[in-house]
Amino acid sequence: MSEWKDLTNFFRGRSFWMLHYCTGCGAMELPPTMTSRWDMERFGVIPMATPRQADILLVTGYLSLKSLKRLIYTYEQMHAPKWVLGFGSCTINGGVYWDSYNVIERLDKYLPVDLYIAGCMPRPEAILDSFKKLRELVEKGEAKGYEKYVKNYEWYKANQDRVLKRTKPVLQKPEEVTRSA
Amino acid sequence: MIFLKLLEGIGVGLLSLTVGLLFMGLARKITARIQRRYGPPVLQNFIDVFKLFSKQSISHGFAFDLGLVAGVSALLAAVVFLPMGQINLFPHNSSLIMIIYLMTMAYLGMAMGVSSSGNPNATIGVARALTMMMGYELPFAAVIFSVYIFAKTGSLTNIVAAQGGGFLNWNMVRLPFGFLAAEIALQGMLGEKPFDMAIAPAEIASGPMVELGGKYLGFGMLQHAVGIYLETGIMVDLFLGGASNIWIFVTKQFELFFIALLINAVLPRFKIEDGVKFMWKVPLLLGVIQALIVVL
Amino acid sequence: MNSNIIWLVFTPLIGSAIAAILYRVKFLDRLVTFSTFAITLLLLFSVHVGQSYTFNLNFMGKIIPLSWNVTHLSIFMLYISVAFGTLLTFYSLMDKSRMKGFLLLLILAANNWIFTTNDMVGFFFAWELMGWASIVSVLGGRDENSSRHAALYYAMMSIAGSYSMFFGVFTLWKLTGSLSISTNVAYLSSIVGMHPWWVLGIVSLFFVTFMIKAGIFPFHTWVPMAYAYAPDTFTPFLSGVMSKYGIYGMLLFLPISLMEKGMPAAFGLPWVNYIFMWIGVTTAVVGTVLAFFQDDVKKLFAYSSFSNLGYIVAAISLFSSVGVTAGIYHAFNHLLFKGALFITLAAVISRTGTSKMSEMGGLWRKMPVTFFTFFIGIASAAGIPPFNGFGSKWLIYQAMIKQHLPFATVMLFLASTGAFMYLFKAFHSVFLGQRSARYDNVKEVPVVGQIVEYLLMFAMIFFGVQPGYILKPIGAIVSSMGLKPLPTMANGYVTGMFSNVYVPLISWSLAISFTVGFILFFISAKHKYVSQSDNYTAGQIPEEWNLTPETYQFSWKFYEPIEGIFAPFFRIKIDGFFRGLANWTAATSSAIKEIFVSNAQIYAFFAVAGLIIFVIAGWVA
Repeated sequence: MSEWKDLTNFFRGRSFWMLHYCTGCGAMELPPTMTSRWDMERFGVIPMATPRQADILLVTGYLSLKSLKRLIYTYEQMHAPKWVLGFGSCTINGGVYWDSYNVIERLDKYLPVDLYIAGCMPRPEAILDSFKKLRELVEKGEAKGYEKYVKNYEWYKANQDRVLKRTKPVLQKPEEVTRSA
Repeated sequence: MIFLKLLEGIGVGLLSLTVGLLFMGLARKITARIQRRYGPPVLQNFIDVFKLFSKQSISHGFAFDLGLVAGVSALLAAVVFLPMGQINLFPHNSSLIMIIYLMTMAYLGMAMGVSSSGNPNATIGVARALTMMMGYELPFAAVIFSVYIFAKTGSLTNIVAAQGGGFLNWNMVRLPFGFLAAEIALQGMLGEKPFDMAIAPAEIASGPMVELGGKYLGFGMLQHAVGIYLETGIMVDLFLGGASNIWIFVTKQFELFFIALLINAVLPRFKIEDGVKFMWKVPLLLGVIQALIVVL
Repeated sequence: MNSNIIWLVFTPLIGSAIAAILYRVKFLDRLVTFSTFAITLLLLFSVHVGQSYTFNLNFMGKIIPLSWNVTHLSIFMLYISVAFGTLLTFYSLMDKSRMKGFLLLLILAANNWIFTTNDMVGFFFAWELMGWASIVSVLGGRDENSSRHAALYYAMMSIAGSYSMFFGVFTLWKLTGSLSISTNVAYLSSIVGMHPWWVLGIVSLFFVTFMIKAGIFPFHTWVPMAYAYAPDTFTPFLSGVMSKYGIYGMLLFLPISLMEKGMPAAFGLPWVNYIFMWIGVTTAVVGTVLAFFQDDVKKLFAYSSFSNLGYIVAAISLFSSVGVTAGIYHAFNHLLFKGALFITLAAVISRTGTSKMSEMGGLWRKMPVTFFTFFIGIASAAGIPPFNGFGSKWLIYQAMIKQHLPFATVMLFLASTGAFMYLFKAFHSVFLGQRSARYDNVKEVPVVGQIVEYLLMFAMIFFGVQPGYILKPIGAIVSSMGLKPLPTMANGYVTGMFSNVYVPLISWSLAISFTVGFILFFISAKHKYVSQSDNYTAGQIPEEWNLTPETYQFSWKFYEPIEGIFAPFFRIKIDGFFRGLANWTAATSSAIKEIFVSNAQIYAFFAVAGLIIFVIAGWVA
């Protein structure tokens, strides 16, 4: 049975389908990574359109509270096994937005990040290196962020709720609309 | 005897899946080379499919399950009727129209599955795919019926037999306009650019595939693989004189697929109504010219 | 004794009288209707081919022979229509609509009479009975105003048809002195070489009637209205059975008009047939295109019926053995799948209370049996192999190609692809997609309805896999028309001129591949079921954006991109032509009326002139 697991991990490590959640300036580094200059497809990594299809959630840059809410929703729509890559110093310690009132500092407190890519901002080589590193982790069976998230869901949920209660829905509720009108 | 046929049928199914996935891998590699990239391994699509089937997934109910399975199964049921080189399981049952209508079942299944998910993007994708289907089926039908009248038979086995005896007997040479029309229709059938509006990832989140994940997406990929095999196979039987053995058959299929690929790599996407209008202008005109030549 | 044929007509009439008495008690009314249908079906077993019966009606001193003659065609049509009617009335046992059973029984009496009669008086009378009973039936629809309007329109078209047929009957009677259909047809065949235009004219009089009843282009304008606004449980009968009366009539007269003698040929066909074939093809294409853009689901399927009748007309107009086989076969298949589709629609409408597609959606979880019946129905209608619509469509293509008619075939193929499009539109908008909260309490149809749906599903699969059971009787019909029947080698073989299809083989192939597919499905990684609200929304949380199932459902302007392509054709309004004709007729008749009522002298002048003309005409003759 463990051979079968090794085999699936081997294949999973060679076929990462990526959902890039582009919030900040880090998105700029992705086009060269995808296209002819650095060509991430040679590692089996391709961008996907929806969370249902993706294996990796690549968070490129700072997360305001409202985008954190969407990120969590997107992450929960992905299918296990799934991995989160934190891209750039914004996801590690807030980066240049370390003292902003509506930007989170550590992504790790809200979602189980499997791998951080340090730098402000990381070069495409660093991104490719992270894919190779993640492949090694997956093959060894050590990238288990999605299981950690299920196991410690209360802790993550508490952290999420603490910051998300500061946000408001973007639209008014229908009954509020009618009341004001 | 029946058991043998069953084994042969399953073998043909596996063959079509393998060849289709290999073609998809080659397509990625070749597209990468055209764009001056290194490209993924040729067997990348096998890796992807294996990964997808090992991934957990969500389903929206039994219609979702049934539809996706039907998408692959109906195409696999159709592929056994295709004469391919010396492999021809049912030589007396290879009516082309029947194969085309069996393929329709796969599209219906797929469309039912993805639409039952309740995502409007999927339905928009299906609506676009069906609209495009109406676009390319018209010239393709003109070509099919020209070939029918020309070869005086509607069975693929006999059409292949009628083209025996050298390159000059191929319908590609004898019916050049029809071949051109069918080539353009094939581009639409394969869903390659410029006719890939059904799966536009940036506009409608990859269309029909929007809610598919894990094994469901795996079934979608397998359907695409068998679809490529079947559609190029029909073209080989219709125009390239079939083949004497399976290796030549696959090579001819790949030639047709390669042309489609090159066009795919350099062209942008049509708007949906422009795609249909294009199909009803150029290829249809070619098909009609061919039909006129055949009838008169 | 051959008088049992007459009982085919009298039993429904008696049943009708009983139902008319009981009509206030809905359930008894439905029960009497159903049992009369069932008894008629039993009576049919005593009727066999070749039976004939004559009854001399003494009408004011004149003997009018009413004769009945059972042919292969009539017994085939009788079986399929009465059997379908029995299923339908069984389904309507639970029906609560304003439909009245005695009207349906009157139609049944007319149905049996039309299919068995051999004299034109009986034919005309039964035709009128059927027409008026169905017009009154249309009045019982859900929306009173619309159905009244539809019935009026239908009545107008019907009357035009009746005049045309009446004229034809009298011309023939005057010419031959006989009222028997077979004698007259034989007479017309014998003179077609000498007076082709005369024969064409007389036959056209009948064909206009048949085309109106079948709803063939350009007489189709009543079809969408009447089908859409008729009671939901009557529409299946209207579409499945009653549209076939026109086809039956055409089949009676086709052997003459298709004689090649004296008629110039076009593309290997007599030119009349060639034109008629194109009328059929136009019908198929126009119906398809119009069906794309409907929002009322019954209207969509009305256009679909209209389109399918185009197929049948195109096939029978070839009058080759493949063509006629294909046409009759498609008539049967259309009866079955369109009947099933309209029955499932009746089920859906009775549960949701609307027939607007944009207001439905996602019902498949709530009504699984109906969903599957509908699914198999649209698969049949699209001509997908193991189901029943495939064989006939396939044969129609064979027949067309055999005549070297590639363009007409391509147009039919376009109609078929288009059919797939609009069928999927209806399928999606009614059953798939997001289910609105107001349908959370929708239930499956009662057990009676489910039984009918299961039977229909079984029939659609059975006659698809075993076409031999239908092709054999059709072979007999074809040979009785003097054509060579198709070789039906064994049950399940569909043999065309170009290639063979052995349908059970396809079914086995599908069964095996589905088994393999499901094995793969169940051995691979697990899946879990989620609700429809757990959906890809580009990261937005649905509640925060007031995203409801209604707003997340795509069914409005489904095929918008191609509306632009077809827009130029929508400017042509056939309906407008008929309206113009009606206005013109009204204006002309009032002008004529003016002549008579304005001045007594002018009136007297016309009266005298008319009298003189009559006298001279009688003297000369």
